[in-house]
Amino acid sequence: MDTQNRSRIGMGNMYYVVIALLIVFILLSAVYSVSIGQVHIPFRQSMDILLHTITNGKFGSLDNVQSESFLNIILQIRMPRVVFALLIGIGLSLCGTVMQAVVQNPLADPYILGISSGASLGATFAILVGFGSSALLAQFGVAFGAFVGAMLTSVAVLVLSSIGGKATSVKLVLSGVVIGALCSSFSSLIIFFANNAEGIKTVTFWSMGSLASSSWDKAPIMVIVVLLGAILFLFQHRILNTMLLGDESAITLGINLSAYRKFYMIATALVTGTMVAYAGMIGFVGLIIPHIARGIFGADHKRLMLGTLLLGGLFMIWADVLSRILIENVELPIGIITSVIGSPLFIYMIVKKGYNFGG
Amino acid sequence: MELVVKDIDVNIGKKEIVKNISLQVKNQQFVGLIGPNGCGKSTFLKSIYKSLKPQKGLVLLDDLDVLKASEKKVSQNLGVVGQFNEMHFDLTVQQMVMLGRTPHKKLLESDRHEDFEIVEEALTRTNLLDYKTRSFLSLSGGEKQRVILARTIAQQPKFMILDEPTNHLDIRYQIEILSCVKNLNIGVLAALHDLELAAHYCDYLYAVKDGEVYAYGTPEEVLTPEIIEALYQIKCQTYKNPITNGLSFAYEI
Repeated sequence: MDTQNRSRIGMGNMYYVVIALLIVFILLSAVYSVSIGQVHIPFRQSMDILLHTITNGKFGSLDNVQSESFLNIILQIRMPRVVFALLIGIGLSLCGTVMQAVVQNPLADPYILGISSGASLGATFAILVGFGSSALLAQFGVAFGAFVGAMLTSVAVLVLSSIGGKATSVKLVLSGVVIGALCSSFSSLIIFFANNAEGIKTVTFWSMGSLASSSWDKAPIMVIVVLLGAILFLFQHRILNTMLLGDESAITLGINLSAYRKFYMIATALVTGTMVAYAGMIGFVGLIIPHIARGIFGADHKRLMLGTLLLGGLFMIWADVLSRILIENVELPIGIITSVIGSPLFIYMIVKKGYNFGG
Repeated sequence: MELVVKDIDVNIGKKEIVKNISLQVKNQQFVGLIGPNGCGKSTFLKSIYKSLKPQKGLVLLDDLDVLKASEKKVSQNLGVVGQFNEMHFDLTVQQMVMLGRTPHKKLLESDRHEDFEIVEEALTRTNLLDYKTRSFLSLSGGEKQRVILARTIAQQPKFMILDEPTNHLDIRYQIEILSCVKNLNIGVLAALHDLELAAHYCDYLYAVKDGEVYAYGTPEEVLTPEIIEALYQIKCQTYKNPITNGLSFAYEI
């Protein structure tokens, strides 16, 4: 136990090496990810195409690229997907880490405060009831519904937990559970009365999470929201660290957690809401990646934050790769993959003695 | 720094927990707060370090109005070692003590060389240098409490509040912690349970009963059989310990 902790936390300069390695792995994985699929494009050619595009033709030549269509496949179809996977991995692990600190509970994930149920209700409403015949809303219907649902539940949880004094972590979790249950029952009610088998199937698919609808025109919002969130929280390590100590100790260190909790909740809700709107519910990433990252980098958020983001991004790129290659010509919903990989990993961590979830 | 507390009232729900307590801690004085469980000592202390808002009263640290000043400003001057509370995530001892520098840091400021020196010194004072890279949660209760003390020392406070800091600790740790605090030579207000320790370490004592100050004075004036009997509802005799020359007590129900 003792030696394990030493090696775990006393990482020293290894930290920078690990971070650099993670970045290299992410880049290589991204190239690999765009080279596989129904049309196989050799790794070398994928690399050339990407280098050529990114450096505007200075590096990488298109001479050995076999087919003109490869360019389109990679740049228009597969690349946005990889970018989305990376961003969602970053976003989920970011929000998971922050949420675990906010509610001081190692079991928290980005969806814990009712966001998942709220987003589901919004999406279910959009799919089965609809926002009327307005063409614009119909197009963005599901994403819009999920986002609004996520934001409304977050606000409701925040208001409920603030009633009668400070929003403590326990009150936050309980409010999340209650509001979540309420939203789920409304979703069930809508499904129960829906006379629309196709729609119900759509709802089910949506709830499994998917990156299939990734495209460049949806990318800007995603990029901005996730990167802003990441930059914000990378610089909040002092406050996140005092959150680990609890309200009482934080006050004596000059930080009133109650206000920061609300601020962090709104920020994570925005990021999570955006991700849910575009890709549905992708479970387990926001729960286990922060724990794995803590196992590697320690619980000090100064180092943990960047590590967890990169690890989350890498994990999602590979989850996406698996979702495409596991069964030939079938694309599995990515939420299934993350849960199938995530649960055994989590069990392994519970069984393994070295990491005790801090408890 | 000098602490002046005037007419503090704290209600929790409808119950009056602290009734009109006033006290004073002069520069570099070690002042003890004694009284039975549930008499309002902790609540009173919490209202001083801003964890609870008192209904009325005034708290002054020199000329800093504690109840009106920001948490950050107060924490730059006032350090608190509280009763131990649970943590769910693990940090190393060094990271834990480094958190004591938080009040002196701007949000984006990084830890400088001098911060590490201050942490090192706090660890030396509390005899924890060998524990630097150990995980906090793997430590024993006494060691954890010393880490918390080191964190508070790293805060470089000019005044310190201790809320039963030696609860659950064995005799050696109790003495280590109190001597360490005493050697800091700053004003201290400490809630204590052990009367012999209180007699030994405190320059002045306030006895609290049912949320009110029942008696105050030097340890010899306050720790009399009559007052102890009234506070704790026990029979008590005091005597001069022939070995330590300190005040000692013999209790009986």
